[in-house]
Amino acid sequence: MTEQDFSLNLEDLRPRPAEKKHLSEYFMPPRHSFIIFHPDKCTGCGACEMICSTRNTGKVAPVSASVKVIRDEKEGKNFSILCQHCRKPLCLPACPTRAIEKGDDGIVRIDKLFCTQCGICAMACPAAAPIKDPCSQEIHKCDLCEGDPLCVKHCPENALTFTRGKALRWIKGLRWTSQFISFLLLVVVFIGTFCYFRTGSISFACPTGTLQNIASSGTIVLVGVSSTLALLILTVLAGRLFCGWVCPFGFVLDLVDKVTPKKIGWPSFLKSRMTKYGVLTGAVGGSYALGFQVFCTVCPIGTLCRSYGVQSFFKSAELAIVPALASLEIAQRRSWCRYFCPVGAVLGLTALLRMIKIIIGAKKCKKFSCIQCAEVCPVGIIDADKLREGLSPKIPMTECIMCMRCIDRCPYDAAKIRFRWQKAAPGEGRT
Amino acid sequence: MNSFQPFYNRKIGVVDLSASKAEVIPLVQKQVSRHIGGAAMNSAILEGYQDDALVFGTGPLTGSFAPASSLMIASFASLVFNSICHVPFMLRTGPDMKFSGIDYLVVKGTAPERSILHVNHGKIRTLPAGNLQHMHIPEAIRELKKASPLFQSVIITGPAADRGIPFASVSIGTNGSLDKAGLASLMAAKNLKGIMLGGTEGLPFNRDNPQQGKELEKIISTDKNFKHRGFYSVLKKLEGGEEAGKFLKASGEKDMACYHCPSPCMTHVRYSWHDPRKKEMQNSKEGLLLLDHTGYAALAEKVGKNILPVLRACLHYGLDPAAVAEKLSEGGTMLEYLNAIDKIISDNPPQTTDVSQRQCLFGGGLPPILTGDVLEKKVAIAMILGVCPIFLLRFAQITDATLLSFISTSEEDLTTLQEGLSSAISSL
Repeated sequence: MTEQDFSLNLEDLRPRPAEKKHLSEYFMPPRHSFIIFHPDKCTGCGACEMICSTRNTGKVAPVSASVKVIRDEKEGKNFSILCQHCRKPLCLPACPTRAIEKGDDGIVRIDKLFCTQCGICAMACPAAAPIKDPCSQEIHKCDLCEGDPLCVKHCPENALTFTRGKALRWIKGLRWTSQFISFLLLVVVFIGTFCYFRTGSISFACPTGTLQNIASSGTIVLVGVSSTLALLILTVLAGRLFCGWVCPFGFVLDLVDKVTPKKIGWPSFLKSRMTKYGVLTGAVGGSYALGFQVFCTVCPIGTLCRSYGVQSFFKSAELAIVPALASLEIAQRRSWCRYFCPVGAVLGLTALLRMIKIIIGAKKCKKFSCIQCAEVCPVGIIDADKLREGLSPKIPMTECIMCMRCIDRCPYDAAKIRFRWQKAAPGEGRT
Repeated sequence: MNSFQPFYNRKIGVVDLSASKAEVIPLVQKQVSRHIGGAAMNSAILEGYQDDALVFGTGPLTGSFAPASSLMIASFASLVFNSICHVPFMLRTGPDMKFSGIDYLVVKGTAPERSILHVNHGKIRTLPAGNLQHMHIPEAIRELKKASPLFQSVIITGPAADRGIPFASVSIGTNGSLDKAGLASLMAAKNLKGIMLGGTEGLPFNRDNPQQGKELEKIISTDKNFKHRGFYSVLKKLEGGEEAGKFLKASGEKDMACYHCPSPCMTHVRYSWHDPRKKEMQNSKEGLLLLDHTGYAALAEKVGKNILPVLRACLHYGLDPAAVAEKLSEGGTMLEYLNAIDKIISDNPPQTTDVSQRQCLFGGGLPPILTGDVLEKKVAIAMILGVCPIFLLRFAQITDATLLSFISTSEEDLTTLQEGLSSAISSL
């Protein structure tokens, strides 16, 4: 037996639990328990620190508490620092002795037996929630009092509330159902109807296809133009809802995203959202020059709707376009939609006339310690840095696909749909 | 009776500024049983030292689960009123002093140079503070945060005390205080700039019954004073307070509480103003924590709508707003008021004020929201036990018996405590 056979490393002593995700978790993610702090209610009395320190050390010693209240004397604001029990806690991989674990109940705990009080977890945590006791040098971190937080009970102003998280993300369920049904109808049942569809006096047409048609034929057919109105009116009323809830290619991209969660990144020189407007101009210009709808031959939505139906399966060379463009998903979520889709470009331009907007009230949200909205946004339009600064980010509605993931995910109800003319963000008074 | 054991560190810190020495002596159980704590204990300690000594103390309930247990009391022979005065300090000063490991701090002698004390882990250090001389209070605190050891609370004197103005006032952080009895002048005479409280330790108190405070909170929650909170709720009970409250319509208001207080009587206001002494026409936004009700009411009566910037100037210089109000005339402009305050600071010899009309009830800054013996008794109970006197004045439901039950629930102990408290009250 060699010496190597006896060597033990951290992996042998405290193996990192494998990240397993069951299929059911995609639709009903495990609950995320944490404490919500309401800065508008907090008077800074420190009752939370008192009771927390009593539990931690057996005596009233506010500096030994796992929750800290900070008063900004100039602004007259109170802040609390407490563990948010993040879904993917940064303190966990940072701990050199693997003393931090996230339990099945979602609570992030420090195992005092293994903790060497190095304080790296505090540095890794965006909220600096692990607090070093200046007396005992121990690291204290909220463990939600094992599911019954004392600070919440003792707060005289109800500035702290305990939540076990959302049990069911109904927007998510609704959106996936809508996407699936749309896919079924447009790709399998009514093949090719997305590009043009007419029954009696009612007709529907793709707006990008219509623009190319006008350019290639040199004539404006009123029926053709009016056919695009349904989609354009929907966009004016509800933003680019089509992209997030109906588009069959968007559905394919969301599915591909699920199987390729790790992204390799997109070259920065290609990261221009204006590209799609260039593609649109090219499509219209090309159609004018060549006399046919050039982009329609490679349009992933069109090819998906025309070529993947039961009848058309294996009959067309167009079949390769969808997987080719869907493979862009390994670089970035919804890459096609962000940078190239000319249909999205037309809807984006129409969205300039939108009636609604999505707004994230930084006053209501946890800012730097959460930013889940920015993480879940498939088109990456939520400015996490602004949130970290405590400012409400401006969401460009021409780019927003109205998937409402931010609203669904936000644990603080800070993300809301508002009418365009409403100025105040959630948590900033009357609208 | 050992009921007091978990409520005190049982340590008295004695600082001799002349010799730059500090020692810690034990707090004798007999003394505690006799005087209970707070102002009564301060007076007893003060008797053992020379006239110019200064005692900072806490009550047994300071820092505990009792509501509004935020009090620290400074006792000294006031040169303004020629009597022993007890100035209450709220916010977090009381608990932070206790959690710094000492219950009472005696300051005697005069330092050879401007000094500041740092108290933590039951030890007292004297640090030089010459660089803070004549600095505005916010600026001095910024300097302290940069250069000094960690502290949770600080009480500090400003340029007004540095210049020997008799109506200078000590400030808790940048927020001012209820000192209207010349404590700041005495500290300045001792070359003592301030006291930093580390507050990194703790005490067990009645840890087995942390719910007791919550239960009391339920009782007082039915009182109408519980619903009417914030600075204005107390201000309007003062003479001319309702009129003065009209100027509080600032852009942003938020009620703030002292340590473990369920019913805040302070308000943070944000306002926008333009300093007329500056050439730039740009408005700046400022914030102010209002805690001195009597000072605000007196100043508002004189300066009207200019109150917030003028009050801010007083707090920056460490001046008592009520005394400044006596120096100002009605109907002036903001520029005139600010120049008048600058003149108070720069005048040589310093201006004086007539105190014959003022009451020296425990430092002179407590709002007289009750009258007669009830007021004096309630304040005395609060000042002995270490609970905020304003809180006690607002809620009739809270009696001495209610507060003593936080120390012990045994019948026998309660009887002894009650006797001790009565004797302590009469000694004040």
